[in-house]
Amino acid sequence: MKAKSIRIVALLVLAGLTRPALPTAQIAVASRTRAAVEFLASDRLEGRDTGSPGERLAADYIAMQLARAGAKPLPGHRDMFMPFEFTAGTRDGGSTLTIHSTAESRIPNPESRPAQSFRGAEQVQALSFSDDAAINGPVVFAGYGLVVPESQNLGYDSYAGLDVKDKIVLVLHYFPEDTDAKTKAALARYSDLRYKALAARQHGAKGLLVVTGPRSPNAGQTLRMTFDTALSGSGIPAATISGAVANALFAGASKSLAAAQEELDSGNPHIAGFALPSSVDLTTKVMREKLTARNVVAYLPGSGTRDSGFDRPWVIVGAHYDHLGHGTRGTSLASKEEAGQIHHGADDNASGTAAVLAIAQALAKRPLRRNIMFTLWSGEEIGLVGSNAFVTNPPVPLAKVAAYLNFDMVGRMQNNKLAADGIGSSAIWPRILERANVVAGFDLAVSPDPYQPTDSSSFNQSGLPTLFFTTGSHPDYHRPSDTADKIDYEDLDRIVDFAAAVVQAVANVDVAPEFTKVDPPQTGATLAGVRVTTGTIPDYTTEAKGLLLAGVVGGGPAEKAGLMKGDVVVEIAGQSITNIYDYTFALELLKADTPVKVVFMRNGKRQEVQLTPAGRR
Amino acid sequence: MTRNFSGAARTLWVRVLVVALALTAAPAAQSINHESDFLSRIRRLTVEGRRAGEGYWSSDGKRLTFQSEREPGNPFYQIYALDLTTGDTKRISPGYGKTTCSFFRPGTDEVEFASTHHDSTSKKQQQDELDFRASGKTRRYSWDYDPEFDIYAYKPGATSSVPPTYTRLTNARGYDAEGSYSPDGQWIVFTSMRDAYNRTLSAEEQKQLEVDPSYFAEIYIMGADGSGQKRLTSVAGYDGGPFFSPDGKRIIWRRFDTSGLIANVFTMNPDGTDVRQITDFGAMSWAPYIHPSGQYILFASNKLGFENFEIYMVDIDGKKEPVRITYADGFDGLPVPSPDGRQLAWTSTRAGGSEGQIFLAQWNHEKALEALRAAPERKR
Repeated sequence: MKAKSIRIVALLVLAGLTRPALPTAQIAVASRTRAAVEFLASDRLEGRDTGSPGERLAADYIAMQLARAGAKPLPGHRDMFMPFEFTAGTRDGGSTLTIHSTAESRIPNPESRPAQSFRGAEQVQALSFSDDAAINGPVVFAGYGLVVPESQNLGYDSYAGLDVKDKIVLVLHYFPEDTDAKTKAALARYSDLRYKALAARQHGAKGLLVVTGPRSPNAGQTLRMTFDTALSGSGIPAATISGAVANALFAGASKSLAAAQEELDSGNPHIAGFALPSSVDLTTKVMREKLTARNVVAYLPGSGTRDSGFDRPWVIVGAHYDHLGHGTRGTSLASKEEAGQIHHGADDNASGTAAVLAIAQALAKRPLRRNIMFTLWSGEEIGLVGSNAFVTNPPVPLAKVAAYLNFDMVGRMQNNKLAADGIGSSAIWPRILERANVVAGFDLAVSPDPYQPTDSSSFNQSGLPTLFFTTGSHPDYHRPSDTADKIDYEDLDRIVDFAAAVVQAVANVDVAPEFTKVDPPQTGATLAGVRVTTGTIPDYTTEAKGLLLAGVVGGGPAEKAGLMKGDVVVEIAGQSITNIYDYTFALELLKADTPVKVVFMRNGKRQEVQLTPAGRR
Repeated sequence: MTRNFSGAARTLWVRVLVVALALTAAPAAQSINHESDFLSRIRRLTVEGRRAGEGYWSSDGKRLTFQSEREPGNPFYQIYALDLTTGDTKRISPGYGKTTCSFFRPGTDEVEFASTHHDSTSKKQQQDELDFRASGKTRRYSWDYDPEFDIYAYKPGATSSVPPTYTRLTNARGYDAEGSYSPDGQWIVFTSMRDAYNRTLSAEEQKQLEVDPSYFAEIYIMGADGSGQKRLTSVAGYDGGPFFSPDGKRIIWRRFDTSGLIANVFTMNPDGTDVRQITDFGAMSWAPYIHPSGQYILFASNKLGFENFEIYMVDIDGKKEPVRITYADGFDGLPVPSPDGRQLAWTSTRAGGSEGQIFLAQWNHEKALEALRAAPERKR
């Protein structure tokens, strides 16, 4: 690659020296994507964190480039910016907890006993989704606070036979520690704190307290207030308390918190919760910092939109342009040495942004029947917030949209492989992709699954055919080292040509593609239940019987265990792995610092290593 | 895929196990991936439809004719021609019935293929198969040696508004398929199971026919107009998948033993004389095709595992050990080099799942010659 780009530079210099107007066919054509990637991924934009000055600068640049390509603001709009509000961060606004013991005692008047008050993040802190409230009431210990739906045939309900109506519920964080892997797997799915808050609320509780039990990782510590992008609360005041506060609530109870947890950790579903000899006054206050970010939206008008009977006259082509800033939020994978540095996001997703800009430029000169709308999203990295705002309040009715095509991480092609995900969302995709790819010549890795961790999900949920193109993950993913010099511009330009042909085909097809609903993957695995990291980088572009590794994080558990790029993990801790979902699921069951056996295939040979997962930051 | 292995063989798992045990495990050294020595810019060519396979080049290398299950309402293969310059695909076969094994007549737009569309039960069979698939039931893969298969020559109309003509070249009872033209376009060499129908079979043979009709398959040759049909082989077991050498002087094909499990690559003169065995893996080695240089043969074999077909190459006389080309799980087979010898089209399940699609890659001819030179002499 290096030699080739030097040659191109040399040719360009040569061309400049002789005369400016050489026929383009005779000189190496300059990349149509490099300038945009280099600008967006430069230090000046500081990682394009949603709502940051760098992100605003990026949006201005994108709008300028779209205008240069000949795209216009949507009909009825004065400019290309579509602002949306998002929660930039949350912090505790001074939550407090006061405990009144109601334990039977020889002291005749319990009211005379001193109440214990707690404040400060080490003792009591609201959960990020908590309602702001001041409540009081007796406390009931409800074990792990887990309610597994009957459909799961597990029969686990922490609230069975427990009266929590108008009371304040205390639950343990996570799920029973000592059960078999299968039970753990089932319980882990319902252990997300939002889910526990919902269960408490549904059982009539007026507040929720969460403690990390003495037998769990980070025992007794209050939970960090995690960044939560939802603008709405959970409808119930909810706070995390320290082990000391929990012990105070347990004072005078028939057993200690530690003993209660030990019983529960067996997983026996018949271990019931019980009322504690305490009542509390709880005030919760969450400060949510709301900021505004901007999607950039423009369009190229089609010629055929006034044809009678011409259905769904819009095609949307999009990519997110935001990234992680300095990586201060949870999804950064920066190593300790890299922490706090600019996360350049050249591949993620300056590459997709540059591709969409170049597609706009290419399509501006071609005959189009449908309008092409170009959408560059912000807020993707904090939870698809920009694209969600768009589909919630669309500038044109979504019923008028034929399809959405998404580009996310398209700058690091390996082995000529381009993944096209979501082809199950419309019967039209295989034909269109095959035809365009005969000319483009990618090793197309197609997958029917439209449920992808990128903006196309927002459109799939709105019932639109979607396609998501990516060249897959790599060791620089979500790290400061995702820089512009590592982008493969030659292949990125090839993707632009290919994508322009695909968009053109959708824009000009007589009958708009019909939406097919693909059943969501049946595992329910989410990162919410994952408490550990293994330092593996899955290859999403290749279908393999197991988890194919695109790489391993330097210094991470996988690298230390000797795993490397190209290995196919087929078993972790006795759980067989056939796909990425199984893998996520298996991760939920791992404990930090507890070694597990990992079975993997390398060069067709089955091998085993011990891997010691690390706790997630 | 009819230039495929015997269908009946795959239903007889007892025999399979015996053979699987007999096959020696590959030494560890062989698992080092040398695919990129020979193949670069590998890419999936076909995407549409449940499966596709058997891509054969036009003589200018600009088009590929292949079979694919993509015709709406027809669950069986139809024949298509793909323009590699524009990506346009057009259906060659009539759209109904079953078809297989197409081949461009050199230097023309004519295509020969096998079809059952004259069978009055064609459409009912399509519906039955669609109903079967809708029921969610599955069956083990086995090729259907429908005795209705006959070879047709397709000729496009003079203009796009003139319908194409289909000339039926064979009409013997029994499967006639797997045809390919001679380089001069004057001859078609093909496979026929007519021997099972044109004489009185012994009781044992009758039983054989019910279990596995491919036992009766032999190689035939005829004029491009269907005239002068002549049998070239007469050895029990499936003789099939014949192609001419680039100079037209030899025919290459694969011969199964009577068990239907072991196959090897053979060559002979177009009159059936001078039969030579090229491979001897003790496995299922089939789908041979001669590189346009005439110097070596590409073929597929399941030497490394019954379900794991890989592409190999061997020198034209079979004097050396074959060299492994592909290194992917599942099926890699039906290799067909482009007329300039610089590309390879083949059928593979490497994209996942059990259904094949056509793949295309750049072929490194120089590296291939080098590897063949370095290959050890085959022990006899």
